[in-house]
Amino acid sequence: MMERVPIVEMKGIVKVYPDGTKALKGVDLVVYQGEILGLLGENGAGKTTLMKILFGMLQPTAGKIFVKGKEVRFKSPSDAIAHGIGMVHQHFTLVEVFDALHNIILGMEGHGLLSKIDVERARRKIERLMEELNFRVPLDVPVEELPVGVQQRVEILKMLYRDVEVLILDEPTAVLTPIEVRELFRVLRQLKARGKTIIFISHKLNEVMEITDRVTVIRKGKVVGTVRTSEATPQLLARMMVGRDVVLRIEKPPKEPGKPILRVEKLRVIGDRGEVAVKDLSFEVRAGEIFGIAGVEGNGQTELIEAISGLRKVEGGKVYLNEKDITGKGPKELYDMGMAHIPEDRTHMGLILDMTVTENSILGLHWRPKFQRFKGVINWARAREHAQHLIEQFDISAPGTEAPVKSLSGGNQQKLIVAREVSKEPVFIIAAQPTRGVDVASTEYIRNYLVKLRNEDKAVLLVSADLDEVVQLSDRMGVMYEGEFMGVVKPEEVTTEEIGMMMGGIRYEEIRK
Amino acid sequence: MRRSGSSPLINFKPFVESLIAILVGFIIGAIVLIAFGYNPLEAYYWLFIGALGSTRGIASTLKYATPIMLTALTFAIGTRTGIFNIGAEGSFYFGAIASVIFTNLWGNMWFGLLMGMLLGALWALPAAILKVYRGVHEVISTIMLNWIAWFFVLWLIVGPYANPNDPNKTIRIPEAARLPVIGYGLSIAIIIAVIAAILTYFLLWHTTMGFGMRASGINQKAARYGGMNPKMAIMWSFIIGGLLSGLGGAMKVMGEGPTYAISQGGANIYGFGFDGIGVSLVGRNHPLGIILSALFFGMMRAGTALMQVNAHVPLEIIKVIQGIIVITVAIPGLYDLLVRAFRGGVAQ
Amino acid sequence: MNPGDIITILIMSLMAMVPIVLTSVGAAWSERAGVVSIGYEGVLLMSAFFGAIFAELARNALVGLIGGIIVGLLLGMLHGVLTVYLKGDHVIPGIGINLLAMGVVPFGILAYWGTAGQHQLPHDAIMWHWRTPYGEISPMIIVTVVIAVVTWWVLFKTPLGLRVRACGENPEAADALGINVEKYRFWSTVYGHALAGLGGAYMSVDWLGLVHKTMSGGRGFIALANMVFSGWNPLISLIGGWLFGFFEALATWLAPKHIIPGQFILMLPYIMTLIIVAGIIGKARPPKWDGKPYKRE
Repeated sequence: MMERVPIVEMKGIVKVYPDGTKALKGVDLVVYQGEILGLLGENGAGKTTLMKILFGMLQPTAGKIFVKGKEVRFKSPSDAIAHGIGMVHQHFTLVEVFDALHNIILGMEGHGLLSKIDVERARRKIERLMEELNFRVPLDVPVEELPVGVQQRVEILKMLYRDVEVLILDEPTAVLTPIEVRELFRVLRQLKARGKTIIFISHKLNEVMEITDRVTVIRKGKVVGTVRTSEATPQLLARMMVGRDVVLRIEKPPKEPGKPILRVEKLRVIGDRGEVAVKDLSFEVRAGEIFGIAGVEGNGQTELIEAISGLRKVEGGKVYLNEKDITGKGPKELYDMGMAHIPEDRTHMGLILDMTVTENSILGLHWRPKFQRFKGVINWARAREHAQHLIEQFDISAPGTEAPVKSLSGGNQQKLIVAREVSKEPVFIIAAQPTRGVDVASTEYIRNYLVKLRNEDKAVLLVSADLDEVVQLSDRMGVMYEGEFMGVVKPEEVTTEEIGMMMGGIRYEEIRK
Repeated sequence: MRRSGSSPLINFKPFVESLIAILVGFIIGAIVLIAFGYNPLEAYYWLFIGALGSTRGIASTLKYATPIMLTALTFAIGTRTGIFNIGAEGSFYFGAIASVIFTNLWGNMWFGLLMGMLLGALWALPAAILKVYRGVHEVISTIMLNWIAWFFVLWLIVGPYANPNDPNKTIRIPEAARLPVIGYGLSIAIIIAVIAAILTYFLLWHTTMGFGMRASGINQKAARYGGMNPKMAIMWSFIIGGLLSGLGGAMKVMGEGPTYAISQGGANIYGFGFDGIGVSLVGRNHPLGIILSALFFGMMRAGTALMQVNAHVPLEIIKVIQGIIVITVAIPGLYDLLVRAFRGGVAQ
Repeated sequence: MNPGDIITILIMSLMAMVPIVLTSVGAAWSERAGVVSIGYEGVLLMSAFFGAIFAELARNALVGLIGGIIVGLLLGMLHGVLTVYLKGDHVIPGIGINLLAMGVVPFGILAYWGTAGQHQLPHDAIMWHWRTPYGEISPMIIVTVVIAVVTWWVLFKTPLGLRVRACGENPEAADALGINVEKYRFWSTVYGHALAGLGGAYMSVDWLGLVHKTMSGGRGFIALANMVFSGWNPLISLIGGWLFGFFEALATWLAPKHIIPGQFILMLPYIMTLIIVAGIIGKARPPKWDGKPYKRE
């Protein structure tokens, strides 16, 4: 075995965002020349933040970075590239109307700014590079016309054209089909054989097991540990990734669920990129039950919720609410039929930040007779009373009902949404990431309230990337992976390790075998 | 008036920003005046006296404020729904020519106003449809529509509706259909315009529809989530905007003697749509702010009469000042910028 | 219509083409970098006015043209600061600039020359023209063609152009590769307005030999229409600009003849542009980040 030279070292990296969020709490990372290092962790663990720091997109609050033993300080990505570090983001940064060749040479076209670009010379150089690495992309087609997997290879080529030695890939398989994943892995092995170093960010256990040499696991802004992949098992990695103490205790009396309120039958939903995001999914949520959906974000949860709540087109299958077919109905009708929805995107969907607390407090129920002076004219006096009532009932701290909602803290904004949705007096409520970015006190309040709704015989669909939350609150839970359930289980009957494996794409039946 | 459920009647920061912009406009205007050898104090004195120093001046202020108030509302209702509708100009032409055409078919004032509004709205429709169904940016489509409207109306002026006795003008509005005059050449148009502004305010801030329009204007995703229909909000925004500018065009012809016709080359109906944008910006795209802002612009225009005669300053100086005001208003976060600069200055 | 008339209309259309093409080319460059402006109407008018003053003072039309460029440059900087650096709205400053021009020019004509609304330039302040029996031809026609071709070439064949287009299509991608998006956007805006400035000065010190308070006559907006019509391509906007110029010339020529009302001919280019942006014929697609401020994460 060749001598192990650290090509990149990060020491004591701390990142505190302007709003006070501590994303990284002193992270040490060592990357060796010529290896594929897996960076494993849940959403929000800090993987991407750490790599954005290494790529010069973010500045660390504290800590040092060494490249080949020398301390460096990157002000921008181009600094990082100059030091041989490149990154391919989850969302590509390609100029869609340019062909691959121009995307690759952009910013280092050679010669003077006003001389003719030597396309043929660039082509020869890229062709040589592709030959060396044994993979190809069409160079003359606008990249927007290329499949996602090929676009990703263009991104990789863009970095290699700049002679980077360390290539960071952020969740590179998230957007790929299984065949494309195989092709990507082949490319990565080729790169490794050429002596390139790769940092592979992922939450998928199987992939990490398959492609990496070592794995560093990050949890809540800290490194849990680093293991050699050959000495690791999926079980071990799952435990490292999610195994942790439960923070909050929730009182949940046992309860027999009633009749099904929401029934989803073979639901098929298409995502923004045209991919099948939800694959013929079936489940039901019963009265007096919290049905949880766990899983790493981006596995179809968002599309599922949007389809159920009338915000996204249903491609196939049916949705029933109280045995009435609601497939394709819009939000207004659904709310009138007893649905409520705490959306995952608080600031862009749940609230209109530039509007007042009052206005936000009646959003989605403003057409109800209660808030109408006569048909079509809003009774703001009533609306203000309503807002005041919600503020008191949920103990929301707000400067007043006429303050813009953006002046409230994240926790109080979220409480306002919960309060409003509950005030719709629903029979079925969707709670998506209900406590994300919310302070501890509000989190506890919101979780207890969801249990209270369940105790009152409402049906609750809880979707959360926070595993503790799903495990604690749910009566039953499905673990979602690439648009399917890897298993529907009772939380008390499985171990966190097993859930972690399901989140990583292993079916429950296989685990139990 | 009662407080709305949403915003105080006059928002402090934007109000101050507009005042600062007006101040900046007058200061730079003064510098220009000095540079060309005029006395700015004298000019501004007569500008003020001309606008407010007599009943005739006030009447003239109100007269000039009327059309731009309505075109400003068109722009404002667009902005509030998240679109940049600069098509008021085209709808204004159509409102004007509609009043000429239809009052000559039936000499009824209300009929003339109604048809003016309808044709104004009709002319706003293509931009609305292109925006909602084909994603065409409204700035491009409305610029095109304005010019098409302009040439079309120009042709109507010299062609089918030319006055046989005075071929440079259109036929006149029949006496029965003219707007009643209050005095000093001021018609009831100003009252109708103010009512339109108040109704627009009421629509935007007190109705379910207006709530949907404003919500869509800020955040379409949240509006859809809230059970609203952003596409329809945009459609209505164009249509109502067209109604308002059409009304403005009709009243410009039906309410202003002695001609009661569209004059040579459309000179008396040109440019109000564009001026309205400035009025709306200074009025911070708020219908009630627009009443004040339109009155201010009207004052400046009315005051030029005495300023020209007594201070011998060309009336165009007010456009210079207005341009500066609009550019100043366009500085993002002007208030915060000034506060910071001021604090920084004090600290040193 | 005899052959002589056709040549006359052709020459007229070429002369009319110049300000439209220059402005279209400039606007196309600026929008390719991602900065929208609707203030070109005001730029044309103000540079026509100040260009004339420069030309008169120097007794040289060339100085007038340079003066026009400087006016465009300064207004472009104003627009660039507001939109690129202060991240303000891209449309509003243009409204202010247009309004300003509508004041500055009539006021200036009266205050500077003491005439109302119009001023005739002395002969030595007007550009030399090649006189033919069918009309006068300005050397600026050739300059315009050269500028359009060179701008096209730079935009599509050189690293500079590639980077400018990247800033308008995906500033994030450009930024990640070390391209200073703000700098490219700012100077693109300045270039765009400077070309319009040249076009404006051409109108007064070259084409018409006079200053009139409404002499821009909507050409700033026509140029924007032409830019869209030409798919943000300087080379095509040469053809498009000539077409707009041709319709203008044709309408002028037809006006006294009462065959087809000139207004309908003048309307045509706008209708065609509208049809094109609606995607009924072909598809005109603006740069993806056109008119959107770019802020780094």
